[in-house]
Amino acid sequence: MRQHTLYIIAYFALLIIVGCQPKAKVPSQFAETKTEVDIYPDYKEVVVPPNIAPLNFICRDSAATAYVAQLRGGGQELLAAAAKNGTVQMDSTQWRALLTASKGSDISVDIYAKRPDGWVHFIPYKFSVAEEPIDAFISYRLIEPGYELYRQLGIYQRNLTTFDEVPVYENNRQYSDGENHCINCHNFRSGSTESMLFHVRANHGGTIIVQNGKAHKIQLKDSTIITSGVYPSWHPTENLVAFSTNKTGQAFHLYYPEKIEVLDEKSDLLLYDVTKNEVSHIIRTSDDLETFPCWSPDGRTLYYCTAKRNYLLDTSLPDSTYTQQLLMKFDSIRYNLMSISFDPKSRRFGRPVMEVDAVAEDKSISVPRVSPDGRYILYTKGNYGQFHIWHTSSDLWVKDIQTGDCYPLSEANSPDVDSFHSWSSNSRWFAFSSRRMDANYTRLFLAYFDKDGKAHKPFVIPQEDPEWNVLLLKSYNVPELSKDAVGISMQELRQCIYDTEAENATYKVNPSAIVDVDATSGASPKKPVDGTTGASPKKTE
Amino acid sequence: MMFCITPRRACQRTLKRISKLNEIMSKKPSPQPRKDVQKPAVSPQRRNRRAGAEGHPKASGSGLRLAAAKVPVHVVFFALTWLWAAWYYGSVFHVSREYSFWVADLRIMEFVLSQPYGFLRYIGRAMLQLYQYPWLGGLFMALILTAGSWLTGYCMRLRPAWRAIQYLPALFYMAVVTWHGLDIFVEARTGFIFGIPLLALDVLCIWAVIIRSFSKKPAPAFIRVPQDETPWQNRLQLLVIVAAMAAIIGFDQWQRPYVRVICRLMDMEYKQDWVGIQKLARANATMSNRPMACAYAIALVQTDQVGERLYDIRLDYDSLHVHGVDGEHNNASILYVPEGNYYGGFLESSQHACMEQMVMGGPTSRLLKLQVKCALMRNEWALAEKYLALLRRVPFEGAFVKKYGPMVRRNDLIEADREMALIRLTEPIHDSFENQYQQPLFMGYNLMLVEGRSRNALINSLCVCLYTKLMPQFVERLEPLVGTTPPSIIMDGIMLAENKNPGLMQHFSGFNYRQPQLQSFLQATQPYMKDRPGHAYELFPKYKGYYPYYYFFGNLKATKKGYTSLSSSNSGVN
Repeated sequence: MRQHTLYIIAYFALLIIVGCQPKAKVPSQFAETKTEVDIYPDYKEVVVPPNIAPLNFICRDSAATAYVAQLRGGGQELLAAAAKNGTVQMDSTQWRALLTASKGSDISVDIYAKRPDGWVHFIPYKFSVAEEPIDAFISYRLIEPGYELYRQLGIYQRNLTTFDEVPVYENNRQYSDGENHCINCHNFRSGSTESMLFHVRANHGGTIIVQNGKAHKIQLKDSTIITSGVYPSWHPTENLVAFSTNKTGQAFHLYYPEKIEVLDEKSDLLLYDVTKNEVSHIIRTSDDLETFPCWSPDGRTLYYCTAKRNYLLDTSLPDSTYTQQLLMKFDSIRYNLMSISFDPKSRRFGRPVMEVDAVAEDKSISVPRVSPDGRYILYTKGNYGQFHIWHTSSDLWVKDIQTGDCYPLSEANSPDVDSFHSWSSNSRWFAFSSRRMDANYTRLFLAYFDKDGKAHKPFVIPQEDPEWNVLLLKSYNVPELSKDAVGISMQELRQCIYDTEAENATYKVNPSAIVDVDATSGASPKKPVDGTTGASPKKTE
Repeated sequence: MMFCITPRRACQRTLKRISKLNEIMSKKPSPQPRKDVQKPAVSPQRRNRRAGAEGHPKASGSGLRLAAAKVPVHVVFFALTWLWAAWYYGSVFHVSREYSFWVADLRIMEFVLSQPYGFLRYIGRAMLQLYQYPWLGGLFMALILTAGSWLTGYCMRLRPAWRAIQYLPALFYMAVVTWHGLDIFVEARTGFIFGIPLLALDVLCIWAVIIRSFSKKPAPAFIRVPQDETPWQNRLQLLVIVAAMAAIIGFDQWQRPYVRVICRLMDMEYKQDWVGIQKLARANATMSNRPMACAYAIALVQTDQVGERLYDIRLDYDSLHVHGVDGEHNNASILYVPEGNYYGGFLESSQHACMEQMVMGGPTSRLLKLQVKCALMRNEWALAEKYLALLRRVPFEGAFVKKYGPMVRRNDLIEADREMALIRLTEPIHDSFENQYQQPLFMGYNLMLVEGRSRNALINSLCVCLYTKLMPQFVERLEPLVGTTPPSIIMDGIMLAENKNPGLMQHFSGFNYRQPQLQSFLQATQPYMKDRPGHAYELFPKYKGYYPYYYFFGNLKATKKGYTSLSSSNSGVN
């Protein structure tokens, strides 16, 4: 009897819920309008992967009190309704069926709005469904937009085929002088979460390396290393990671369209052997600022960015003034895209090669990422500096490695910041962060990259409640696509971070390291440095 | 045996007893009337009831009536608590509300819900929204505290003689709130202001229901005059309540007098009541703290009087009982730096300061509103809309949204806004970086101002130079005023700078009576020059508003009078 009562209550509750939802039915009578519907986010004319979660959206029509959306493609139809707030949320099963049926073709969207004088029908729009799926997971850090202080932050993983978001790792929720720590620069090997790493700064500091489901904490400290490992790149075949090591500072503009300038006073490149826990220099120079290493998919080339520094400095002044001096000339620091060959067997590096001479055109390049098929290098190009995430001039560009052509991804770019990107493992999609929505809070966008090397109009990652993109007071930072979900639990990561001491990596001299070479032109003799004593031909610190 | 007496019947029975007693007293005036009255052997409860009856207005003559009068203590407690929570401390809770962001959407409130006692904080923050209108918030606060006291008495089965104890938890709560002062909102724990009393009330309710279910103990009177108390027991309760509240208010006036003043000033700042700020600051001129000084300076800048009346208040900065989110003592800079930067024309720096606070303590209505204004002035329309979308969800923020919402993409409306138009006049002309200047930025930048957008910017800069007593910088910036009669404070500064810059005064006019005034000041204060910190406070009333007094006696490392010990004061010229 009691069970029956529960069933009856549940039944009526369901009835109420269903009854409260607006009914999706195409109105029998409506007037045509000559205007396009205003929707948020902009999902018009985009290309979407066949495995993406429903592209819920908001219709904005000040006079309307109800909406009906009719999506048609591949012989399938999906109807969804919205109340006065205009939020159209689609049934995921119907959505999946629609996308599957529409693979490689278009889906047309008809929106009807109920105004005081009756229903109106807007000019329909369409979007396309690509044949190729996108990697199902994307990891990112959620943090307030780049200010000095940090408090609660974490690395999260979103399943792009649904709306599920889970924390990979979150720092301490409650303020504690002894526990506060920052986490950054998470990175996977070749789009697989089997090997991953991220850094922990301040309390419990170190680099967390996760392999075979086990986490351990290491520290890349040596008198010859500027700080510790910063921007990472996993070698695709060997158990190696290339890091940059940077002395970074940031300053706040007083009267400028951009708010923050982040610059490096010095930076070098490191190679870390995960198996042996050994670290060595790849490039160690005093004049050049090397950063953002990235391996090619075959692991035989390392791409990176480099800028000249000393010509901007009055070296007769103390070293302590360098950051301030560079800050005064922040818009003159420019980075080129370079590469250096690598022999995985002997682990020796070759000579630096200029890939893109951005300085020659008064531009600056950062964050090179090679497509998994090895054909394209995707990078950001702005007017100056390397932290393009705060540069409105920052746009996405590619270099076709086969032809050597460089060109902007105009369809994907916006007048605002477009930076930090990650390839899908099939090279047909990439994710990137952009401030185009409000110029402050970065949001994640996905763009289709076709076989001809052309990017298509990107779209913001769908949310169950599309307004969440407006309401969320955090930025999406460092998006990394992956084929699989992170296997290690947050509890295990917490244990590693809180309960273990970082193991210091052994510094080893790399005989092929480039020391004090003119890394921009590549013209200079190799001079190995004594990694034990830190003695080097020129003072670097 | 259980019985029930309806109030009407009880009243009739009591009246009968009183009339009998009056008859006895009038017929046989006894030399020992007390004994006669007490003669019948009655149970203590009955005696109490009888004593209660004697308190009835119609019971006896006026003297006896007064002595035997009883009052419904809960009602008195409620009234006093309401007065305290609405009228006395309402401004503090009102500003706490500004620091207590709350929306119904649990996703947005995750930063609160994920904290320990997150749901309690969430509910507490929701209740605190009522303090948009202090009388309303105060009403609920008083209801909760009074109901809590009533239930405490019930649950603890207090005898009439000990009934005053029931008010102690509520009074203790009020004392703790007063003790924390500004920390109740600065430490970002605003959810506890209502959360703790609510939690206590919930516990008491459950406890009371259990008692009621098992012992069937009747609930004591809430509004009616209590029947089982003697007048003295009744009065003891009143005494405890009044004494405790007087002690709480006394402590506040003695140890935290700045709390209410700062909160009222902040509230006036939100309402752009510049005249009110000036009046209140001047009325508390000897009270000295940075948030007050900043609010006062902003009001003067907004009314173009900064060159005339900046020194009407003491600027020595006694230390405040304020702690940050980290629990460390600080100088309350978070209360004024974002606003100081905004009204100084440093919009990006204001956004920076707001964001830092939002990172550390979560969003607040106050910060979001400031962010909206900054975004509007920087033409960051989408950003302004984002913050407005959040504020639209906050109860009682409709007026703000209504005022500033239409300004999105409407520069003409922004320029027509008086506050914003004035701020525009002091925006920097060229870009530079914050870290090139001393903090707070609105002072540091003005110390180094080379080029300004308007006369207002110049006057601000000169006033900052005078405030920091950096006369060379002051003199360097005087050139645009040559040939004019500068504002009085600047004229005083010029006279003081004349010593090291002979002939400086010749370039300006209007010094007629000021020179003798300065001579007489210097003569009169000569005896105090050897121990300036020691005499600063006593001289202030005499030379209030006079810049040379400030130059010699104001804002020194240590003055001898302050609300807290000067050894703990970390103030100085900055």
